[in-house]
Amino acid sequence: MRPQPFLLTDTAFAALGAGRPDSDTLDTLRRAQLSRTLLLLREIRRRLPHTPAWYSRLTTAAPDEANRLIADPMTALWAAQALRAGNEATNHDLPQPGLPLTATAQDQILGVRVEDSSSVRHGLGLPPSAPLTTAERDHWQRCLDGAWQILASRHRPAAEMLAAVLKVIVPVRPDPAAEGISATSSEAFGAVAMSSPAGPAALAVGLLHETQHSVLNATNLLFDLVRPGGGPGYSPWRDDPRPASGVLHGTYAYLAVTRFWRTERTAGGGSGRAAEFEFARWRVAVAEAAELLIGGGELTEAGARFVAALLDEVRPWLAEPVEPEIERLATLARTDHRLRWRLRNLTVAPDDTAELAAAWRAGRPAPAVTSVLAPGTGRALENSPRLRLVRSLVKGQDAGQDEFAADGDAACVRGDDGAALRAYEMGLEKERDHDLTWAGLALVSPRPALRSRPEVVKAAAMAAPEAPVDALADWLSG
Amino acid sequence: MDAGQDGGGTPEEWRSVMIDISGATLAELVEEDTSALAHALRRVTDELDRQGEPIAGFNSAI
Repeated sequence: MRPQPFLLTDTAFAALGAGRPDSDTLDTLRRAQLSRTLLLLREIRRRLPHTPAWYSRLTTAAPDEANRLIADPMTALWAAQALRAGNEATNHDLPQPGLPLTATAQDQILGVRVEDSSSVRHGLGLPPSAPLTTAERDHWQRCLDGAWQILASRHRPAAEMLAAVLKVIVPVRPDPAAEGISATSSEAFGAVAMSSPAGPAALAVGLLHETQHSVLNATNLLFDLVRPGGGPGYSPWRDDPRPASGVLHGTYAYLAVTRFWRTERTAGGGSGRAAEFEFARWRVAVAEAAELLIGGGELTEAGARFVAALLDEVRPWLAEPVEPEIERLATLARTDHRLRWRLRNLTVAPDDTAELAAAWRAGRPAPAVTSVLAPGTGRALENSPRLRLVRSLVKGQDAGQDEFAADGDAACVRGDDGAALRAYEMGLEKERDHDLTWAGLALVSPRPALRSRPEVVKAAAMAAPEAPVDALADWLSG
Repeated sequence: MDAGQDGGGTPEEWRSVMIDISGATLAELVEEDTSALAHALRRVTDELDRQGEPIAGFNSAI
């Protein structure tokens, strides 16, 4: 046996980076994953003194059937878990297949399995749900039918990719902090963990998002795209700091999400303004994240080529006209996220904070201080009451009618910056240690220090509680 | 690893650091003992050892 490396032409590699892999490239990724699982199974077998039942099954099956079993994402997940766990687990049989679900639209078929009882399903990283009831299974089937209708009729290339990659859905418990959660593991190409979908469009975009992760995981097996060792930084889709490899994953997944909404906003499917908002919000986030990756110096040669192709794909979308009010709300949502991220994850060292307070009290100019990452804040999904108000407004609902909305937030989202400013300043007079209010203030304040480094203004305000916030922000903006 | 390229501009072809053994049977591979297989296995098991958090976090609210 003289095994050869996998080869991709530069054209195919760039199309992969642009999120448009052709069928030959997808076949390459599938063969790479099959090779990966074969290596894991070989290693497990070589460590055992006897022949386990799973090995006999795989080696006596017809070649196509053996390959089908070995290429299954749950087999790959089982093999990874068994190898990590050791001897006892390697004797267990392969996981039993779950419930088949099929959707057909526009002569395109999507066949998946819902794995709601497999013993290895927790390996996708999110707490799995209990086995589905009949009503829950019917809900998944209805959502899958609707999602597939949307994808097959309006997103044909994405639908073809999904049909080629997606094999398994693992239902997971909902996250109270999120409105819908999903995950992918590099150990199970073609498997997606997902909470019960809100509806067909949410399922469609969720599956596209997660399938992109699977495709990037498979690409990472073939090519190192990011050099190891870099520190974490800003990611527009997470509230916690992420390494460059994580930012690349998000950028690639949101490229597909952005493309989905770009098509949906003109599709007349009833989600026009919401689709326009999502498109306007994510096109800039994807482009900016790609530019930061390229400028960050952590990409390999292959990674730089991959991300350049990604950026080439999204850049023309930035010039496409969007309704001004939607653009305003999209910019607000992006800026709000960046400000909240800074307040959550960046801090000022105690010595620098003390120096700020001393300089303020002595009437000296503000000293230069550097923001640093706050220790271990953990994984966090985006969760913002202002974003919920923005989405309500996009749908045509009056943000001021939300009885749970803070006055500042309702005014901010309406575009009444003066009223929002007053409300946020009053809020901070009552409670200074409240990041959402600081981020709201920074959104509507004319003071540059609040926009660029809200965490520094907050640190100074906490250290000098007698100082008016607006005066401190002016001092730090000078 | 930069895909084993020769350097000097964008290559016409990207060569993976992973080998293609998809045409072999599991039984054949169990009997085989080559440095290429050992190297490929290390790449795969290194990834297992690095197992961190899943790629998670899509908030599909619309």
